[in-house]
Amino acid sequence: MTLRLRRHAFADDTTLMMAIVNRTPDSFYDRGATWAEDKAFERVASVVAQGAEIVDIGGIKAAPGAEIDATEEKARVVDFVARVREAYPALVISVDTWRAEVGDAVCAAGADVLNDAWGGADPELVDVAAQHDAAIVCTHTGGARPRTRPFRVEYDDVVRAAIDDTLAYAERALAAGVARESVVIDPAHDFGKNTRHSLELTRRLGEMVATGWPVLVSLSNKDFVGETLDLPVGERLVGTLAATSVCALAGARIYRVHEVVETRQTVDMVWTIAGRRPPARAIRGLA
Amino acid sequence: MSTRIVLVPGTLALLPEHASLNDPVAELRAACLAAVAWLGAPDQVLADPQGRRVADALVAEAGVTGRAPGVERAVLVVGNGSATRSEKAPGHLDERAEAFDEALGAALRRCDLRGLDLSLADELWARLGGIPALGDLLGPDAEVSVDHDAAPYGVQWWVMRWTCGS
Repeated sequence: MTLRLRRHAFADDTTLMMAIVNRTPDSFYDRGATWAEDKAFERVASVVAQGAEIVDIGGIKAAPGAEIDATEEKARVVDFVARVREAYPALVISVDTWRAEVGDAVCAAGADVLNDAWGGADPELVDVAAQHDAAIVCTHTGGARPRTRPFRVEYDDVVRAAIDDTLAYAERALAAGVARESVVIDPAHDFGKNTRHSLELTRRLGEMVATGWPVLVSLSNKDFVGETLDLPVGERLVGTLAATSVCALAGARIYRVHEVVETRQTVDMVWTIAGRRPPARAIRGLA
Repeated sequence: MSTRIVLVPGTLALLPEHASLNDPVAELRAACLAAVAWLGAPDQVLADPQGRRVADALVAEAGVTGRAPGVERAVLVVGNGSATRSEKAPGHLDERAEAFDEALGAALRRCDLRGLDLSLADELWARLGGIPALGDLLGPDAEVSVDHDAAPYGVQWWVMRWTCGS
């Protein structure tokens, strides 16, 4: 089925780069580098030039920290979404939020996707997506509340749990009126999970792909990569790309990333190995 | 009533299973398809087994099914010159290759393939395919045109058309 992110449609065999754009002073990777609106706008220009199809704009860091209420979150993202929409009509704009109130405002400003990293914590978010004909990302958090870290979480089968929860969320979205071609599922590495959980989700990602829903993966520089290789933030690119390769071979469609160029090359290479994309230009031995 | 003959190279990159996102043989492909469209569906293909697959693919891609008006016979020949024209050529650079290809190209233009050195052709990795048999079809009255003459990857390609007995 064609994937439709509001006004943008993508064929089944395409992969998409979703570049992270933080309007936060404290996100773990960039540590406020794009907190100033002009810096965030420069980041958008940069990732568009690098070929990102989607930007994922977030106003609140995922980890615990200072309380950011809906008013402050909207102040960080709504006008910025409008500015990006105006400048880049062909770009897919996603907003990383769990709040329906924020989702409503950003969709009105031109957002195409509501990326709910917190697994439906606000039950009205799906209604907002439906009202605006926007797409929604249904993530698995194992019931974690927004902006909490996992603590002694266990699953009988983490992949089964991720599939069951994201599909239940997808059904809620459909029931609310979100278009079937505009629902994406995400196992949400590290969210409500320890490192072994995220590794198992990576290893068995094909089971999520087999549900038929387009799968988004958000792996970029996360702790499960850092703990696996014992490397700090800033030294996790190679590990991220290795995990990306495994997910690409399994058939993940959308990659939420800090490094667009490196991830695009990795995914194109694996997609081509898998026989889903022709080589860019093959003449060796064929002239 | 006339005979039309077309020569194309046995370039495997022309096959659909070897398609790239950016066609590395776009000019060659365009020339081949135009020539095959002019030829019409061939009554005969002169080629080795690999070349036969290239011929079939080009006929399918050109979408030709019937004979062109006034044409009695249509022959599609698959073959090419040396594959040793440059350092990066499949057979690496052989200093004799350029002269060999010039001589073969000239022979094709004047429709006289007598004296073709098959042994040297083999040394220069020239997959002549149907070219030796082409000599028997060409009379001195044949009209010839050269659509494509290039060796961008160290392999000498020609796309040529002949009309005989018009």
